Amino acid sequence: MITAVRKPMEEIIACVSPYDRILLAGCNECVSVCSVGGRKEVSLLSSALQMHFLKQGKTLEIQEVTLERQCDPEYVEELVNSVDSADAVLSMACGCGVQTVAARFREKPVFPAVNTAFMGASERQGVWSERCQGCGDCVLGITGGICPIARCSKRLMNGPCGGSTKGKCEIDTDIDCAWQLIWDRLKALGLENRIEEIMEAKDWRTSRDGGPRKIVREDLAS
Amino acid sequence: MNMKKKLSAAEFVVLAEMNTPKGVDISEFVTNARGIKGRMDAVVIPDMDNGVMRMSALGGGALMRREGLEPVIHIYGRDKNRMALQGDILAAYVLGIQNLIVTPAEPMASGDHRDAKPVEDLDETGILEMIRSLCEGVDMAGFELKGAPDFTVGCAMAPVAGDQELAREVENLRGRVAAGAQYIITPPVFDLAAYEKMIEALRPLEVPLVATVFLLKNVGMARYLSIHEPGCRISEDMIRRIRKAPDREAECIRMAGETTAELRKMVRGVKITTLGWEHRLADILEKAGI
Repeated sequence: MITAVRKPMEEIIACVSPYDRILLAGCNECVSVCSVGGRKEVSLLSSALQMHFLKQGKTLEIQEVTLERQCDPEYVEELVNSVDSADAVLSMACGCGVQTVAARFREKPVFPAVNTAFMGASERQGVWSERCQGCGDCVLGITGGICPIARCSKRLMNGPCGGSTKGKCEIDTDIDCAWQLIWDRLKALGLENRIEEIMEAKDWRTSRDGGPRKIVREDLAS
Repeated sequence: MNMKKKLSAAEFVVLAEMNTPKGVDISEFVTNARGIKGRMDAVVIPDMDNGVMRMSALGGGALMRREGLEPVIHIYGRDKNRMALQGDILAAYVLGIQNLIVTPAEPMASGDHRDAKPVEDLDETGILEMIRSLCEGVDMAGFELKGAPDFTVGCAMAPVAGDQELAREVENLRGRVAAGAQYIITPPVFDLAAYEKMIEALRPLEVPLVATVFLLKNVGMARYLSIHEPGCRISEDMIRRIRKAPDREAECIRMAGETTAELRKMVRGVKITTLGWEHRLADILEKAGI
C-alpha cells in the first residue's frame, strides 16, 4: 500500500487559515489502512482544526467527506456538490489523490494534509516498512523475494557492503541488512549459488528515471 | 585580460566551445586548442554534451589550462549529487578553472547511456546558490571551507519558441541571476531581428549577454533544426543560401562569421559552437573581422 504520515498541525493550520470554509476530504484506500487519512482521521483533524480556530475567535466551517478512492476521477466526481460551498480543499489522501482532486477542481486551492511516504507493507499493528520503489523491472524472483532496491540502504545490486554487521545495516542498526536477508532466504531455498551470479548494471529507464511513467492498456482504455 | 576582467570592463568576449574526446586520445582536442590559442578569450568545455558520455569537463578544463587557454566548464545536476558537485567545483578551482556555466542537462533518455540513473539532486538555481556559498567559504552543509574559491559564473538560457515562452524564461533567468549568475549564455542566433527582441526582454536583468553562434555545417543540419527546433528561427532563405552556394562549407563558415560580426554590435560576447569543426574556428573569426 501507499503509506503516509500526517503533516504537522502548524503546517496544516498555515494552509487553511486564510479560508473560512474547508472541504476536508479523506480516502478509504491506503491512507485509511495506515490510519492517516480515512474517515476516522478526517473526523479527528476536523475537530482539532475547529478547536484551534475557535480559540483564535474564528469559526472554520468544515465539510467532511471520505471518498472510496481519491485517485480515481469517478469517485472524485462525488465532490462536485460539496466543493462549491468550500473556499479550499484539504485532502488527507496520498499525493495521487491530492493531484486528482486538484486536476478536477482547478478553481479551488487544494492542500495536502499528509506527507506521502512510501510503498510498504504492514509489519505488525502500527508499523509499516518500505518494500517497493516501483522500479518497473522486478528482481524479486532472483533475490529470494527481498528487494535490494527498496530495502538495501545503498540500493546495491550485488551486496552486501562492508557495513553489514550481524544482519544489520550500518545506516541504522534497526534496519535489517537486505543482502543478509537475501542470503538467508536463498540458502533456505537451496539457491546459494545464485548469490555468486553478478547482476548487471540496472536499466533504470523503467523506473522514474526515464521520466514520469504511464501505463496504457489498449484493451481497457476508452 | 581574462574573461572576468573583460566582462566587468564591458569588453567583447569571444568564447569557443570544444567538446572533450570520448576516450583518452586527447591529440585532436589539444591540437584544436593550440590552433585557437590567442584568438579566443576562453574555451567552453561542455560536460557530457547531448547526454553523450565523454571525458569530463573538469579534465578538459584542466587540459586547456595546461595548454595556456582559459577554460570555462559546464556544471549541471543530472549526473552528480551535491557532494560530487561541490567536490568537483573545488577541484576545478585548484586546477586553474575559474569560470563556470550552470546549464540544463539533456535528458538521459536522449543520450547514449539511456539506462543510467539520473541524479537531479540540485536544479540550476540550487547549483548557483551552492557555488555562491562555496565562494563565501561555506559548503551546503554549513561547514567552513579551508580556502574559498572565486568563480565567474554564468547560466544558460533555454531556446524559446514564442513570446509566452520568452516571458517565462526571463522569469526563470531572473531567479538564476538572483542566485548568483553573472552573465547569460543565450541560445543559437539565426534571426538577428528576433534576437533583438530577446535582448530587450533580457535587458531588465542587467547582466551581460553572451550569444551563441552555432555553425550550420550543411543543408541537412539547417533543415533538421528548422523543423525540430522552432525557437531557432532558421529561415528558408538561409537554407537556400547554403544549398545554392558553390562551396557550401565555406558558405556556412561565412554565415557564422557574419552573425558573429553583427552580434558584436549587439551583445557583450559570443560563444561559438562548431560541433567537431573546431579547426574552422579561426576561419569564422576571420570572416567576422575579429
